[in-house]
Amino acid sequence: MSYNVLIVDDSKSMRKVMLKTLQLSGFELGECLEASNGQEALDILDGRWIDLILSDVHMPVMDGIGFIRSLREQDICRDTPVVFVTTEANQDRLKQLMDLGASGYIRKPFRPEDIRALLNRIMGETNGFRMGTDVEGCDF
Amino acid sequence: MALEWEQTLKDVISEVLETMFFAMVEFGESGGRELPFEYESEIHLLNHKGRICISLRVSEEFARMITANFLGVEENQVDDDDLKDSLKELANMVGGGYHALKNDAEWRLGIPGVWRIGPEYMSMNQCVPPLDFAFFGEPAGSAVLNYVPGRVEDREIIPN
Repeated sequence: MSYNVLIVDDSKSMRKVMLKTLQLSGFELGECLEASNGQEALDILDGRWIDLILSDVHMPVMDGIGFIRSLREQDICRDTPVVFVTTEANQDRLKQLMDLGASGYIRKPFRPEDIRALLNRIMGETNGFRMGTDVEGCDF
Repeated sequence: MALEWEQTLKDVISEVLETMFFAMVEFGESGGRELPFEYESEIHLLNHKGRICISLRVSEEFARMITANFLGVEENQVDDDDLKDSLKELANMVGGGYHALKNDAEWRLGIPGVWRIGPEYMSMNQCVPPLDFAFFGEPAGSAVLNYVPGRVEDREIIPN
């Protein structure tokens, strides 16, 4: 089974790194879509099936908090896990993201195994999913 | 003896460069002289009373190398957009790491910026001695942190 993923980050480089991390982590990727901010992500999500959303928090136009708030208020992708990959250090803001319905967050800088462990937990809870464990020597 | 912010910034830069950019750097003394670097990325931590500016200047060679490492490509595949975008991300992670260690909820992280600089470039942080770092003995970059007091508007602190 493959999973459709949406990566939301204003940094094109970071989107590439996220995609590479998923691929090297043994994540079975279906369609991978990208957006550079929350508003663009909402436009992409309209009427489309997505299994997982990975999003930054600090973005111009619409940040991660505005994005997940709109996502949940508009009832778009209601059950789709949303994981924030962020430099945000403010515990109140991180709690706010979780209260708004985030499935989890990872602080940057991160290691591929951090992403793998969190996605194993989150996707496992929703789909009985388990990623490969061999990422030694991954060159990303 | 290193000031507290200097040691914190050194720790954060080392962690970010090692974890995401696969580069180990050594910090040293430049004797206050300005080294010729080609790029500067900057990020601000903001509260209502002022801003902390963190600037990172790096050589083009080092920037290209860490960008290639970050993206998992060869250095000759790195274009200028990739390079600037990766340096912005570097500033973003360094700013976020500094914020985390500072552990003060009052501060908010701004949006990073990056630009190419010439040999005559003078940044607003010029007055503070930079923290120079080297990669395998070669000057690779410098970092500087500066506090700028003054009112910061809400719209800068609270995005959207």
